[in-house]
Amino acid sequence: MKLYLLPSNNIKSLIKKLAQDGSVYYPILEDDKTHLVKYAEDKDFEPDFEKIRTAENIKHFFFPSRDVVAKFPKDSKIKAVKQYLFGVKSCDLKGIDVYDRVFLKAEPVDPLYQTRRENTVIISADCPKPADCCFCNLVGIGPYGTGICDLNVTKTTNGLVCETFTKRGEEIIEKYQDLFEDAGKEEIKEREGIRKGALKDLGKINEKPFKEDLAERIEKAGKEVMRDAHKECVECFACLHACPTCYCFLLSDYKKGKDIERIRTWDACYYAAYARVGGGANPRSDLMERFWNRFLCKFNYFNEYEGLFACSGCGRCYRGCSAKIDIREILWKL
Amino acid sequence: MEALNPYYPIPTKIRDIIPETSNITTFILEGMPIQFEAGQFAELTVPSVGEAPFTPSSSPFGDDLEFTVMKVGRVTEALFELKKGDLVGVRGPFGKAYPLKAFKGKEIFIVGGGVGFAPLRSLFLALVHNIKDYKKVYIRYGARTPDDLVYRKLIPQWQKIKGVDITLTVDVGDGAWKDTVGVVTVLLDDIPVDLAQAPAFVCGPPLMMKFVTQRLVEAGFKHQNIYLSMEKNMSCGIGKCNHCRVGKFYVCKDGPVLTWEDVKDIEEPFL
Repeated sequence: MKLYLLPSNNIKSLIKKLAQDGSVYYPILEDDKTHLVKYAEDKDFEPDFEKIRTAENIKHFFFPSRDVVAKFPKDSKIKAVKQYLFGVKSCDLKGIDVYDRVFLKAEPVDPLYQTRRENTVIISADCPKPADCCFCNLVGIGPYGTGICDLNVTKTTNGLVCETFTKRGEEIIEKYQDLFEDAGKEEIKEREGIRKGALKDLGKINEKPFKEDLAERIEKAGKEVMRDAHKECVECFACLHACPTCYCFLLSDYKKGKDIERIRTWDACYYAAYARVGGGANPRSDLMERFWNRFLCKFNYFNEYEGLFACSGCGRCYRGCSAKIDIREILWKL
Repeated sequence: MEALNPYYPIPTKIRDIIPETSNITTFILEGMPIQFEAGQFAELTVPSVGEAPFTPSSSPFGDDLEFTVMKVGRVTEALFELKKGDLVGVRGPFGKAYPLKAFKGKEIFIVGGGVGFAPLRSLFLALVHNIKDYKKVYIRYGARTPDDLVYRKLIPQWQKIKGVDITLTVDVGDGAWKDTVGVVTVLLDDIPVDLAQAPAFVCGPPLMMKFVTQRLVEAGFKHQNIYLSMEKNMSCGIGKCNHCRVGKFYVCKDGPVLTWEDVKDIEEPFL
């Protein structure tokens, strides 16, 4: 495994060069939160690679909250737009992993997702300072990219230590070779230390692992456990819309001129009408059942099909929750 | 290679409209916009209103694509406003087909309730297409009143087919009704099939599904031989949107027909 160094004073240059090939989004720190913003030539910018994941999840880059998926009676194709996502954290890579499994690997392929995914280069960044809401270490991943990304960077004193994971990642190093140099022993050692530190912090934040048979415990949880878990929920559904692994959607049709547009919008299994059928029957008419469905879906059903939890440990559900329900507390109790 | 758009409905027109009951109508489409196998379903689009899932009620071996639909919601209400020649869209087929080959040489036991008989009709017509392959096909069909029975004109013709045994019941009869009166389970007191071998197929409203399934289990059908048409909220039809989940199953992808073996551990699977 060869590591490269993008010296600190070349970071902006790389972003500027990538912007000649497509839209580049990079993280900025604002009010103690990070956001991915689009590079614009006329604006000064200071990317932040150290803070935890962005406040917003990144699924909208592949799966917008409102999307025209078909036109009727004559269909039209989506235009491919090249984009670079720079500084994405490992938890959001897990989200993309889940999405890839649903929209690319499970037949039939979703052509819109495929087009956006194929035209998006993902440059992830280590997460050196996990926050109290983070629990990626409890759901099978760590605080740095080990796949799904094309390239992963670790911020060190001298610049970004880069590791490639795909041909596209290698091509960036090759194409802009003037900006990169080989990583030295010092930087590699620093990267190791940063990673060890992040893992140690995560271990302190989340001392207890989830039980090994968590999926089964969720399936067998009694009404009392479910009632206790959901009693504070005020049905704001921030948890589901903020979640990078939730992929529920609804199709609806709207007239536009002479044509009809089929629109896909994000949906969430907490909505009362989510599973109701035309005749009126509703398998989850009670909030408690809908609340627990989220746990079954993420930790049991998805796990059974794909062998991994559909949870990234990003903690956005907890941060966004009006009632401050901590998913970890519910899972630890099982 | 770029994938075909699975969200795009194929445009077609309504060729004919056959009223079945006061709120159930059969819509016959022009041509065969999709080829399906018995057990699979499709999404029918009413332009600018939306789409809803239906299992075709026509034969998969025929030249027509028909849907027998009950007016119950937004999309079906709009569908009932359409006339012959109006544009609609079809997506599909989706879901798994019945393993018809596995039923060869066996007795087949079909139980329908109300409009639930519509999807069973495509199964029945598929069986009739090769009727000699099966030992006997039994149909037990019930509706609220004689006027609520679908395919009333066709049933007498089907009853004449060699190897077919059809019995009807209604919850409430009228002066002209000569057959059984009572809910469909009254037709299940005597089940004249080899219970160790025969597959059973059930489709109807949730309560009917519950009690018929219970009766078939008590009678001794093998759990994996009881095929149940699951009515769930569906949006995408391709196992992605998550709406139709029943336990670990996507009804649109793993179903729309699941067996009692699949769903028996799920609390109220028919709701």
